[in-house]
Amino acid sequence: MENVTVHRNRMAIAILSLVGLFVAFYLYAHAAGWMGALQCGLSDCDTVQSSSHARLGPVPVPLIGLVGYAFLLGLALVGLQPSCVGSSWIARLLFLGAAAGWGYSAYLTYLEAWVIRAWCQYCVASAIIMTLILAASLPEVRRSFGEARRTRP
Amino acid sequence: MGKFYAILGGIAVVGAAVVASQVMGGPGEAITTSMDVAAIEDDSVLLATAKPVVKGDPESSIAIMLFVDYQCPACRQFAAMVEPQIDLRLVESGRASVEQYDFPIEQAHPHAFLAARAARCAGDQDRYRDYHDILFRNQDVWFYQNEAVGAFTDYGEELALDMDEFGACLRSERHAEVVSANLQFGTRLGVGATPTVLVLDRGEGGVIHRLNGNTYEAIEEVVGDIEAGRAQGS
Repeated sequence: MENVTVHRNRMAIAILSLVGLFVAFYLYAHAAGWMGALQCGLSDCDTVQSSSHARLGPVPVPLIGLVGYAFLLGLALVGLQPSCVGSSWIARLLFLGAAAGWGYSAYLTYLEAWVIRAWCQYCVASAIIMTLILAASLPEVRRSFGEARRTRP
Repeated sequence: MGKFYAILGGIAVVGAAVVASQVMGGPGEAITTSMDVAAIEDDSVLLATAKPVVKGDPESSIAIMLFVDYQCPACRQFAAMVEPQIDLRLVESGRASVEQYDFPIEQAHPHAFLAARAARCAGDQDRYRDYHDILFRNQDVWFYQNEAVGAFTDYGEELALDMDEFGACLRSERHAEVVSANLQFGTRLGVGATPTVLVLDRGEGGVIHRLNGNTYEAIEEVVGDIEAGRAQGS
């Protein structure tokens, strides 16, 4: 029963990470000049993407998202393999990766709301995806630490 | 598990198709003509959209409003001969600020709109003034070219701009709205040629003075009159 829950959580993380990966790639393609204007609807993507906060030093922020989502996707897929389902390391890494991603997303959302004062719908979508990934990874850490307590001599 | 991988594969195919369709379209067309901002009939909305590039104190009680077309030879001459005097004698001394508005006359100058956008793209990297200078200095070079995107890209490289960001900005519609709004704002003020210089006296609740010619002496005269009027009033 426990393995079924683990499977469901990791499947959810994998699916959400794949969606996030495409969102990040779309923004990165724009930042790299591979395509024209973003399809922005009612939000103000150009203001956000052209702000000084769209880069962390020389690195475009979408590239950080791309790497982060790829990491979570790979980890979730590995964690779904029968030999790794019980791995507490994968559980902890998933939680830590999700927590770091969520924290950075929260910081970017703060910048949009209070510093840049403009919204980019793709950044908001990414923040929502990260929140869902964090929620799906919470049982992982509970299980992982519970396991650690059980195996303590 | 089979169902899970099918869902994952489906998302991968749809996501790749959507992103590829955007990227395959190439870097996009550089917007080279003004947008239709005729819908902005409310002056307050137009004023909020039109944004000058300001030199000096933005709160200065006297503002020299410049309406500039980068492809206009008279604007180049004005930038070389008159602007340095304005900077030295009026802006640096704190007597006035300069508010530069884009006024690309597209019928005569097909690259003027893109030049205005390119300068603002450089402004995103805090190099507006440098790009402004390089555009005027090289006006003879790009003036007669059929396609100015290449030259404008070269100038970005010359200034060592972040070319990923600058190129993406140039090949998009970024700043098209503000340049178009500046154009419309100038038209509403009766600007019909470039360079046009107006002097805004904020002290009287926003009175705009027109000049007799685009010389430094004419500007100095109006600024001096405004200052003298205030001194008499106080």
